[in-house]
Amino acid sequence: MSFLIFNSAKAQDYPRRPPDLDRLTQELFAEIQSDQVPVEDIYETLLNYYQAPLNLNAATREDLRALLLLSETQITSLLRHREANGLLLSVYELQSIEGFDLRTIGRILPFVAVAGGDGRAARGPLWQRILHEDNNYALLRYERVLQTRQGYTAPTLYQGRPTLRYLGGPDKLALRYRASHSQDFSVGFSLEKDAGEPWAWQPGQGRVGFDYFSAHLVLQARGRWKTIALGDYQLQFGQGLLLSSGFAVGKGAEVITTVRRSSVGVRPYAGLLENSFFRGGAATYQLGPRWEATAFASHRNADANLRQTQDSLAAYDEFSSGLIYTGLHRTATELANRHRLAETVGGGHLGYASANGDLAVGLSAVGTHYGTALLKRPESYNLFEFSGKNNLALGLHYSYVWRNLLLFGETARTTGGALGTVNGLLASLGPAVDAAVLVRHYPADFHSLYGNAFGENYRNINESGVYFGLKIRPAPRWEVSAYYDQFSFPWLRYRVGAPSRGHDALLRLAYTPSKTTILSTQLRQRLKPRDLPTSPDFPVPLPGNYLQQSLLLYYDAALSPALEVRTRLQASRLRLDDVQPWQAGYVLAQDVAYRFGRALKLTARYAVFDADSYDVRQYVYESDVWLAVSVPALYGQGTRAYALAEIRLGKPLTLWLRYAETRYRHQTTVGTGLETIQGPARSEVKAQLRYKF
Amino acid sequence: MPQRLLILVLLEVLLGWGAGVSAQAQGNGPGVRGARAAALGNASVALDGDAWAVANNPAGLGSLARPTVGFYAQNRYFSAALNVGAAVVALPLGAAPGPEAAADEPGAAPVGAPATPRAWARRGVVALEAQRFGGQLYNETRVGAGYGYRLGQISVGGRVELLQISIEGLGSRRVALASLGGQVEVLPGKLTLGVYGYNLGQARLASYQDERVPTVLKAGLAYRPTAQVLLALETEKDVERPANFKAGVEYRPVGALAARVGVASLSEEISAGLGVRLRDFGLDYAAAFQAALGFSQHLSVTKTWGKGNGKELKIKN
Repeated sequence: MSFLIFNSAKAQDYPRRPPDLDRLTQELFAEIQSDQVPVEDIYETLLNYYQAPLNLNAATREDLRALLLLSETQITSLLRHREANGLLLSVYELQSIEGFDLRTIGRILPFVAVAGGDGRAARGPLWQRILHEDNNYALLRYERVLQTRQGYTAPTLYQGRPTLRYLGGPDKLALRYRASHSQDFSVGFSLEKDAGEPWAWQPGQGRVGFDYFSAHLVLQARGRWKTIALGDYQLQFGQGLLLSSGFAVGKGAEVITTVRRSSVGVRPYAGLLENSFFRGGAATYQLGPRWEATAFASHRNADANLRQTQDSLAAYDEFSSGLIYTGLHRTATELANRHRLAETVGGGHLGYASANGDLAVGLSAVGTHYGTALLKRPESYNLFEFSGKNNLALGLHYSYVWRNLLLFGETARTTGGALGTVNGLLASLGPAVDAAVLVRHYPADFHSLYGNAFGENYRNINESGVYFGLKIRPAPRWEVSAYYDQFSFPWLRYRVGAPSRGHDALLRLAYTPSKTTILSTQLRQRLKPRDLPTSPDFPVPLPGNYLQQSLLLYYDAALSPALEVRTRLQASRLRLDDVQPWQAGYVLAQDVAYRFGRALKLTARYAVFDADSYDVRQYVYESDVWLAVSVPALYGQGTRAYALAEIRLGKPLTLWLRYAETRYRHQTTVGTGLETIQGPARSEVKAQLRYKF
Repeated sequence: MPQRLLILVLLEVLLGWGAGVSAQAQGNGPGVRGARAAALGNASVALDGDAWAVANNPAGLGSLARPTVGFYAQNRYFSAALNVGAAVVALPLGAAPGPEAAADEPGAAPVGAPATPRAWARRGVVALEAQRFGGQLYNETRVGAGYGYRLGQISVGGRVELLQISIEGLGSRRVALASLGGQVEVLPGKLTLGVYGYNLGQARLASYQDERVPTVLKAGLAYRPTAQVLLALETEKDVERPANFKAGVEYRPVGALAARVGVASLSEEISAGLGVRLRDFGLDYAAAFQAALGFSQHLSVTKTWGKGNGKELKIKN
């Protein structure tokens, strides 16, 4: 044991501050404008990535890119520095690297470490390393809405049949374990029961009491085997056009580094999102000093509703109208759709990197076979959607660093012949100016089933666009960022009955008077056509110029090591078409966090919100228990408050308690459908216990 | 639209209708205190060192150096039924530490602070306030106690009050409210951010229509580009009314005289005022103009006593 302490003391020459993930997420997800973005997934991927500190002496260019905190020029100078001067001796050496200012160093410090070469042999065999790994946790999370929702009441009779109700209780429960060490291993499992899901023991169908089960074992850097993954994993290659795994932060306040994706390869999956991973095996093998190959295979049963064809001339007897991504199995219908569609995926990736890493090229192939054919509902907007049982996608990606420029891109072809492409350029035009350009074209019949490359839509289909981003630091404490993204959708979309075009623009001004204080203001405008409601005068749904404008004022300061305050004003307005009236939404929120010694940290918020309709709902990021994120959509009039306590019960044991409440004015019910609550308030409690071995 | 709402409210109040939804929009909010705040469009949440902070944002009390009494009168649209009168007494607790002691205190003199160290009461400042709005048909009376404490760049404050609403012929209602505020000097001596939450507990006035005293959150900045100029910006949100944006400018060519102007978006009111300070006496006057309803006037006087830091007065109001 004493040996272990010595070892970890040696590896950490700098007292690492706990990462201020709240602040980072606030910056990366400065403004969430849609339900479609799986914030939870992105947040957790990033958090897991940040959890195991990145060893700067072993990190590759792609690893450093995935941090999202370094510009390409900074990455290049770090790698050059390492090449010229040998391994870094301590993180203090970062100050001597060109382009690393104190702000950058301060931002990356919580997420990096400087360790010697491979100290693995000194730490004993694998099972011992897993047992003695510091970066591990087992956690138990409990969540519940206090008010009774309609889905949990006794069923009533409607036309002689009992009405739909949830089969399980309103408690949500998750149990997770994970241990990981950067460049060595990751092992873990997750079990989850969502609110409303019944307990059941059907191991054959993956129901082991809990409704959801996931496990993985990933080994890294085993001689020429770079990665071996068993169980659940994610893949990210190139720009994520074919394979993407949750590093897709997308458009936001960070206008440069989030434009390009990093090709991090095989990643362990330990999350709770039930539909965003592969299940099976994957391995990456170093073929030569510059070549590496990855092969993967996955088989799992996805949620889908299956139907029989009535028409004898149809191509398929049985088909599925689509996959269901919610992961919820609460009612008889949802349970009937559970794990109905067998999905087999196989493929590989061949990558080449030049000696200094400046040039990287890769080929990827993904083949998918569904047990039952997919056939979307016969709507015009689905005309070019994927149908059938098989899809093969082949892609080529590249990235090339030349002086202060980074060129990157990926082009892929899917079954049917559609070619999708995304190409970009990041340039450090000077020490204080960074620029980004990205061009993308995803045809209407381009079927990348696991891709999530840069785009306005969540799926890379039916979209063309050009993005410009610019970040300037005109004075030491000031930063101006802006982007302009112009896009067009050549075919119809859901709720858009004609080809359409639009734009999205952002201007952000940030002032950081000190290392721990930030004041920022952000303006955003987005024009994205959407169908107008039909009326007798207006019988055909045609898209109107749906325009959203928003303003964000934000102040965040750590006034002392113990006290942090945040003030956030968020206002937006939108109109359905040029001549339609504006609808407005507004939130003013004040947060205070105070740390009482090492044992207790309290965080609280009080917010007032007012949004005219669901369309102008306001998403406001909230602090949550460790590894969770909460972004409620607020609309109507009322107040939102929460309190979160983080209690250290001892060295290995930490407890989180959270209470959140939304109170509405002049509302007698909250929510819709089975989620309806009688009364003007909705409150949630959450408790989480973490044990570190 | 806002004008029409105001007229409607005015009529309701004058006619003594029940304290319905609209009546609460007029009264029982945090209101205006002091002619200085009124002249600045009531962008007062980030102002400090002023006894009227007791109602504008009690965190601002923390910087008050000397015992102060103040009186405030407001007349709206030349109607006696809309008069407001208020009185405040504010007492710093514990002597202000000397300049040396202040500099020793952690965080008391942050880097970049002005050369003259500012001092504030060691145990905070307590203030008592009484206020009355309205006439015989409809009136609101409140008695409040506020406390503000300042440590370095941070001030926090709280206030509890008892509010009584009386409507002739309908009787009266009494509720207790609690409010909290905070101020942070983002840039010492230059930029202050203030936040104030009024009636956080959402006190209920009547079960009919679930009528509650409005919950209001205010946040704003006070910026002093030079010692003579103060720029105040604020947003205020009553849960049930549209957001209000307010701005004010104060110019103090000499220590004894200040000129102010302000605007407020929701009430569409513009305001202007003058302030005179003669050692221990302060006299402020403001006139505000609403296009549909006309003039309002605000007058306040303050008297301070005891030993104070002369330099402190120059920087503060």
